[in-house]
Amino acid sequence: MKTSPQSGNRADATFSQAMDGLWVRFLPEITERVAVLEAAAQSAGEGTLTGKQREAAQAAAHKLAGVLGTFGLTRGTVLARELELTFARESSPRRAAGVKLAEVAAELRTMVESRASSV
Amino acid sequence: MVPGEPFTVTRKILIIDDEDDIREVAALSLESVAGWEVIKASSGAQGLARAEEYQPDAILLDVMMPGMDGPTTFRELRKNQATAGIPVVLLTAKVQGTDQRRFADLGVEAVLFKPFDPMTLSAQIATALGWK
Repeated sequence: MKTSPQSGNRADATFSQAMDGLWVRFLPEITERVAVLEAAAQSAGEGTLTGKQREAAQAAAHKLAGVLGTFGLTRGTVLARELELTFARESSPRRAAGVKLAEVAAELRTMVESRASSV
Repeated sequence: MVPGEPFTVTRKILIIDDEDDIREVAALSLESVAGWEVIKASSGAQGLARAEEYQPDAILLDVMMPGMDGPTTFRELRKNQATAGIPVVLLTAKVQGTDQRRFADLGVEAVLFKPFDPMTLSAQIATALGWK
């Protein structure tokens, strides 16, 4: 089926709107995953990170790494992957690492909120 | 290719992924961009049943799922005569070299990585499976 440039543009816009609709629909889950990372980073900074919390953070980061780039947030995938690897590698991240983790989690939140406000 | 311009052949794809967001984006992508028919399953067990029932042209299979994970689901698909011949494309967010080698050794037709580009996912699948 051939389409004119105009119909192609309309199809692009329709697809983009549909993607935005999915973003809005799944934003609560995405935000919740960021919150899990923020809480884990804070605990790491305080030296109270539990094994269960670390596993939850690793899983949340893994899921964010998979989905953020799909919604156009390529940098979000990079950051989430960095968190995933850190939580996977270090059974108990040092307190200093907790500060860095918190910064990365905060950048993720800003990115997610920025996309949310543009929809 | 532009959204709404389907491939000349309509394909039927089964997506097996426990993550609702990824499953829905992939479904939107394959339906809207390629015009393919999509069947969805949210677990390995559900995917096995739907593969047997719907006989899709290919299966897009997530690796990390609770319960029955992607590699286990793949092995079960191959054990069943009714689903053994269906091409399987693994979809994974794992990027470490050891993971990639492990997935390739499973015998799946292709491995694609998350995050994927919704505009080109169907083309990636078609290319990986040698579909014209």
